[in-house]
Amino acid sequence: MRRTSFVAPILLIALGALLLARTLYPELQVMDYLARYWPVILIAWGLLRIVEILAWAAAGKPLPTRGLSGGEWVLIVFLCLFGLSVHTVRGVANWFPEHIQLDGLDLFDGERYEYPLSGEKAVAHTPHVLLEDFRGDAKINGFDAESVKVTGHKTIRGLGQKEADQSNSGSPFEIGGDANNIVIRVQPDRAGRSGRVSATLEISVPKGASVEVHGRNGDLDINDIAGSVAITSDNAGVRLNHIGGDARVELQHSDVIHISAVKGAVEIKGRGSDIELEDLDGETNIAGAYTGTIELKRLAKPVHFRGTRTEFNIESVPGQVSMTLGDFTGSKLAGPTHLTGRSRDVQISDFTGPLDVTLDRGDLNLTPALPLGRIQAHLRSGDIRLALPAGAQFTLNATTENGDISNPFGGGLALETKGRQGTLRGTVGSGASIELETRRGDIAVQQAVAAGANAPLQKLDQ
Amino acid sequence: MNTNVSLWRSIRGPVMLVTLGTLFLIDHSGGISFTRTWPVLLIVLGVMWLGDYLGHRKA
Repeated sequence: MRRTSFVAPILLIALGALLLARTLYPELQVMDYLARYWPVILIAWGLLRIVEILAWAAAGKPLPTRGLSGGEWVLIVFLCLFGLSVHTVRGVANWFPEHIQLDGLDLFDGERYEYPLSGEKAVAHTPHVLLEDFRGDAKINGFDAESVKVTGHKTIRGLGQKEADQSNSGSPFEIGGDANNIVIRVQPDRAGRSGRVSATLEISVPKGASVEVHGRNGDLDINDIAGSVAITSDNAGVRLNHIGGDARVELQHSDVIHISAVKGAVEIKGRGSDIELEDLDGETNIAGAYTGTIELKRLAKPVHFRGTRTEFNIESVPGQVSMTLGDFTGSKLAGPTHLTGRSRDVQISDFTGPLDVTLDRGDLNLTPALPLGRIQAHLRSGDIRLALPAGAQFTLNATTENGDISNPFGGGLALETKGRQGTLRGTVGSGASIELETRRGDIAVQQAVAAGANAPLQKLDQ
Repeated sequence: MNTNVSLWRSIRGPVMLVTLGTLFLIDHSGGISFTRTWPVLLIVLGVMWLGDYLGHRKA
């Protein structure tokens, strides 16, 4: 005798609502939430079941021998496998092979056949060069020339030479457009199995050109262009170097984005792994989900980062910022600096200007430089260590609701403790206000020690 | 309770499920990895068994 449980219908309703949300609001990152919070389904399922059984027990009804049937356990195993795979794909590892074609069924089948291709076209001084619907690797370099020149080869995956030859003649390479607007295109083959055709191109363009690439997958390497660069791709590694105009990169998936020496603004969107930016003269905007290391060096203008769990804005980065999934390390930052993060250890040294840090969880380690700006730090859980340079003038107000507070800094600061609560207040000279607050964690305010003692921080300056 | 099956036994499965979900959630939110916390499942199962055994002895 089996009673119907109300858990299964509820889960079905939840699944329906989730899929509906996905179709109605495509911008909602349902898969991302699912990747992170799918275990909540297990917890909810278990809790609902417990409530149900307790209700039966309270009503004096006979209890089932097994709280969950064999069939339900099978479903749970599948759910775990599904959840773990979504988590792996969306989260930590980018184990997904780069050149796999998901829109065709041909995963790695067939041999590779190569066909050389080349072309040249005379153009104006500052042409707009568009590489359209591109699959494969491209290297684009600016030269003192008045033509666009393409060399390289097409790679076709096919089951035999004949099939590949057919595919080759069905997917011509062309340089089209007029002198000001060039379009470079490798046609997908006629059968529509475009995934079989990819190309490796080396393209030289006039220095004054601006470049636009719409790619499907493959690596793009663009150097010495005085105009702007715009890249959109489903899956790419991107390297940009010496760009005179703006650089805009929008990738569905990327392993590495490396951008250096750009005069204009830089905008990066999408999801991927590592980002390395250096020597940028314009404003920098990064938005998206990046799971690897983010390295910023020598950014002259404001940088805005909007990730899934972390946001920061820094007026300029004369030094360096390095961020991994669990850490944020910055040195030589010019404020105002704002940082909000969910779970992260933060270490900022040698910074000037106002600083504002809000963290849910993580330790905060601050070593400001003179002159001090206003410092505000709010932590829900984590330790705060502030090392002030000699000669600093400030008004300090530090509180912990549950933790130890210590004052190796000494003079001028008054320490008050009440149970697990502690406050440290005081004024030294007349200077900026420093406000430190942690709900749970220790606070230490001390004098910054000369060079050697900060060795781990100094190393970053290399 | 006027039943043959003890409450402990009945909620053993759901409790295991809640524990499993919690461990995965801790793993995914950057806490301790599941590869290190899985023995908790054995402990919870043991506790539930013990509860069942003691419950029966009293009865």
